[in-house]
Amino acid sequence: MSEENKKSVWTPPEQYQQVESTIPGVDVFAPIPKTAVPDSPKKYACPNCGATTAYDVAAGGVACEYCGYIAPVHTVHVGRTAEEFEFTLDTISQSERGWGDKRQVLHCESCGAELSIPFGALTSTCPYCASNHVNVTISLNEELRPRFLIPFKIDAAQSKQLVINWLGKGWYHPDDLAANTVVGRLTGIYLPFWTFDTEVDALWRAEVGYEHTVRHYNPSQKRWETRTKIVWRWQNGDIQLSIDDFLVTGSSPRRISLRILKEISNFVMNGLVAYEPDYLAGWQAQVYETTLTEAWEVGKSAIREQAKKACYQDIPTNHIRNFSMSADFRDESWRYVLLPVYMAAYRSGDEAYQVMVNGQTGAVAGQKPVAWWKIWLAIGAMLAPGVLLGLIGLPLLLLGGSGVILLAMGFILFVLGGIFSFLLYRKAEQSEAK
Amino acid sequence: MTPTATTPVFDENQALWTENHQAAGCLQCGRVYLVQSDQIGQICPLCRKARLEPQPVRMRAAEPERILPFRIDKNELTTIYSNAVSRIWIKPVDFTPESLLRNTIPLFWPLWLVDSDIEGHWQMEAGFDYQVESSQEFYNGGQWRSRKQVEGRVHWEPRLGKIQTHVDNVSAQALEEYQNRVQMTGLYPLQQSRPYSPGLENQALLEVPDFPPEDAWPLAQPAVDQAVGEICVEAARAQHSRNFSIKADYSNLNWTQFLLPLYATHYTDDEGQPQILIINGVTGALKGPLLASSKRGSRIAGIVGGVAGGLLALALIGLLLTMVFPPASIIAGILGVLGLLTGIGALFPLVQPGQWNRNQTGPRIAKGPRF
Repeated sequence: MSEENKKSVWTPPEQYQQVESTIPGVDVFAPIPKTAVPDSPKKYACPNCGATTAYDVAAGGVACEYCGYIAPVHTVHVGRTAEEFEFTLDTISQSERGWGDKRQVLHCESCGAELSIPFGALTSTCPYCASNHVNVTISLNEELRPRFLIPFKIDAAQSKQLVINWLGKGWYHPDDLAANTVVGRLTGIYLPFWTFDTEVDALWRAEVGYEHTVRHYNPSQKRWETRTKIVWRWQNGDIQLSIDDFLVTGSSPRRISLRILKEISNFVMNGLVAYEPDYLAGWQAQVYETTLTEAWEVGKSAIREQAKKACYQDIPTNHIRNFSMSADFRDESWRYVLLPVYMAAYRSGDEAYQVMVNGQTGAVAGQKPVAWWKIWLAIGAMLAPGVLLGLIGLPLLLLGGSGVILLAMGFILFVLGGIFSFLLYRKAEQSEAK
Repeated sequence: MTPTATTPVFDENQALWTENHQAAGCLQCGRVYLVQSDQIGQICPLCRKARLEPQPVRMRAAEPERILPFRIDKNELTTIYSNAVSRIWIKPVDFTPESLLRNTIPLFWPLWLVDSDIEGHWQMEAGFDYQVESSQEFYNGGQWRSRKQVEGRVHWEPRLGKIQTHVDNVSAQALEEYQNRVQMTGLYPLQQSRPYSPGLENQALLEVPDFPPEDAWPLAQPAVDQAVGEICVEAARAQHSRNFSIKADYSNLNWTQFLLPLYATHYTDDEGQPQILIINGVTGALKGPLLASSKRGSRIAGIVGGVAGGLLALALIGLLLTMVFPPASIIAGILGVLGLLTGIGALFPLVQPGQWNRNQTGPRIAKGPRF
């Protein structure tokens, strides 16, 4: 070694750490990973008075409701630029292992209690000392831990008002629904979602029918007539589809109504921030139960239907047969995010109903009781004109009068009334469905 | 550090690693070979302009470390020559497979193999292979069918570190005309080489390096660095690297030779000049000017032109005969057309060799260090 080099011993730059080398005599240094160790459980207590603290939507920080202490949350706004991950075989295999189904035990540092953490919970509140804990379930895989979330923008009081307003809408519900319903405690919960991006290159092939007007001579009528003839031609084409932030829930349908959840899933992904445990303090949060591959299958099925629809739109006529297509997915990527939802149950009569509020946009959806007498009355009103005309028309027909016209009109009105009645019934039924 | 020891000079009386060889040079091109005593006086295989004479030579006494044996035998050479000869329509008289085979001289040409200790620090972007899953969906007959596809990608990350290692047998230029020689021979499958032992060269001449290690080192160092880079890639468990750089001290350099086989042959062109052809002794790739003979072309053109002239003369006579025998005009016409066509055809052998030779722009053997 030269004298100059001997004097200055080489040292690796900061932010680098030594990693394993497979060859003796060669030292290898690599950048220190951004998160080398998983997030450890974190307890929230007020540094002033020792009381439990929680994230306060209005204050935008972790607040103590006793002494007024507020600690701002370190917010890193990432929006739609939040990091996305590829479908590497490693990630897919790790995702398929899921979180396991063991209940964990957490030692509460405040009171010493041993807390049993239910499956999938990211947060916990000690039932003995009410202290809030975050990161109680930890993913050992860096990519599969929550990396981004949308914080709650609507607080519990606002969401309750939104629910009451929503209850007051609609004519076929009990009149006193909004006034008399006691909306239970709205539980703010961060639910797991997968977002998917992909480019789709689709090729379609089909027989496409073009209408042609043909003039021909009708010998029986002894005149020229026109008729429309469809000429079929094989055609093909291609479309490109760009999918950005396609949302699929990571919650299990066993625990949550996916129908209701879908109705409130109008999240604005520009609101994404980097995951920070402070946002979860005092709130519930769940890890995913639907694995990445399961969610992607759901997403892919929906996306390929979108592609099929786009292919149909690409075809210049409505006459299509023997349609086939292929859809190549490329540059697929995913994100695992936590999104804010309020969930509540309310009672109306003897039944309990579920309602959800989007914690970011305030969209409300849920089950709503139906005043069935209103439905039956409406159905009766819709069928009545047809029945009435039929009742008038039938005797007139028997008497040899002009009852045929009234009978025909009655039949048409009855059929129309039947269709509208069926639709109304279905809508009412869905309103109560889980 | 670079090699500082000067290369010793051996004269024709000194023994080398083998007692059977002695140094002999070509006074015309300046190339030097180690030859067996009965090969003194034979024509220089790479210039074919002078005979080899004993002479002192500046070279290292150590025997070569590795050798790549000949894989092309005489039968294969005949086929190679036949293929080359068949490509030329009007060839020089001497350009035949038999003549080329008769003129063939096997020889080994040298590369340096350098060993070095290395101590320093390095950095690179290390590439790690990974696989991603992609989907293809097919819709037909109202049913969807899925197919998964796995695609390989490379993930790049910075890596750096220290190194204290030793590299062996990094090949480096040992001839001034190295670039030209590589052009002439093409690439060799170096992995097929074996350790050298005396006698493996058989009757082949051994070309002596004319590019000493002192000069070769600056050109060899990038190859040594590349070898170190490969070590670092392996150490980092990576599969690829880019932007590799190293700051290191190189010590204990050891230079040995690596012998590569080639056949040299020649034919004589129109001007009586020897045209050298080089054949890779392993792959059989032949390089060198494949010239057509303009002189023979002209001769053929003259003969064909003469025939054309004769036909035209007969046509003229036939034309004169029409005055006394009118049907002769038909024969005269036919002879005239034939004469014209033959005359036009005579231009082809006149022009074609020149055109062919103009397209012979491939590499030619260098003239030698003397030039």
